[in-house]
Amino acid sequence: MHGNIWVVQNPQGSAQSMALVIRFQLRPSVSITINELGESSDQPCSNSLFKGLQVLLADDDDLNRAVTRKLLEKLGCSVSAVTSGFECLTSIGPASSPFQIVILELQMPELDGFEVAMRIRKFRSRNWPLIVAMTASADDDTWERCSQIGINGVIRKPVLLQGIAIELRKVLMQANKV
Amino acid sequence: MDRNRLHNQVASMRRSLFDQGYLDDQFIQLEELQDDTNPNFVQEVVTLFYNDSARLIQNIEQALNSGPIDFCKLDDYMHQFKGSSSSIGAKKVTNECTAFREYCNAENAEGCIRSFQQVKQEYAILKRKLEVYLQTVRQASQTA
Repeated sequence: MHGNIWVVQNPQGSAQSMALVIRFQLRPSVSITINELGESSDQPCSNSLFKGLQVLLADDDDLNRAVTRKLLEKLGCSVSAVTSGFECLTSIGPASSPFQIVILELQMPELDGFEVAMRIRKFRSRNWPLIVAMTASADDDTWERCSQIGINGVIRKPVLLQGIAIELRKVLMQANKV
Repeated sequence: MDRNRLHNQVASMRRSLFDQGYLDDQFIQLEELQDDTNPNFVQEVVTLFYNDSARLIQNIEQALNSGPIDFCKLDDYMHQFKGSSSSIGAKKVTNECTAFREYCNAENAEGCIRSFQQVKQEYAILKRKLEVYLQTVRQASQTA
């Protein structure tokens, strides 16, 4: 460390005092900034939040399902996809499920997203799994109905990467506050 | 030189598809989702669209031609069709779908039939254009 050390001896020959000089190099201080998750959306793909997130995607439309899946994977999510409301319920099961979020198209034949969400909420708690609806018709009535059923968020179709990221982040943060 | 010419051709075709309003931002999103793990994503999605929608078009055709028109069913089919077309950024097709749904809501059979002709026309035009475009993209990537 490029320093120096010396001893001042007293008349008897034993050490009276010792001095030690060590040179340190000044470096800028390293501070770790913890990113406030609620800040601006210029970083929609913040990997830490979505990485490894277990998502169940339910959409009967092949094309939309393929695109949405790819978008979610781009965000870092781990995606399982099903093609119907029934499959969705089966995948979640009555007991514990590995999925943290269910992303659900509202307009599906036979068993629509509203029904699926109601049944999930009937047997499971308010926030596990989180449910996010997808719909082309996101008007106030739809949102109101979703809210009453216990759906945690709504994504407008056609789906954009930014749209998914913002809504998922919002839903996850709200869940953490509970 | 061949390679440059092809790449220029691709760029110019692509620009024209957007400038002329055939495609919108959703298509760009598809392009952005294409990567090394999914090098043919755009082509796959476009193929998926044309395969799926062929079925829907048949259904709509049938619904329009059968006795008293079931406008609810028609609207359902068109909702699906519009959902797909907007997901791939097929702008003109999507706009025609919107027009169709308005006639449907008004239970205007004549309007629906006319509007559907427009939908099919735009659908066919885009299909041809995309086929040529994607083929050129393929050629350009092969000579890279």
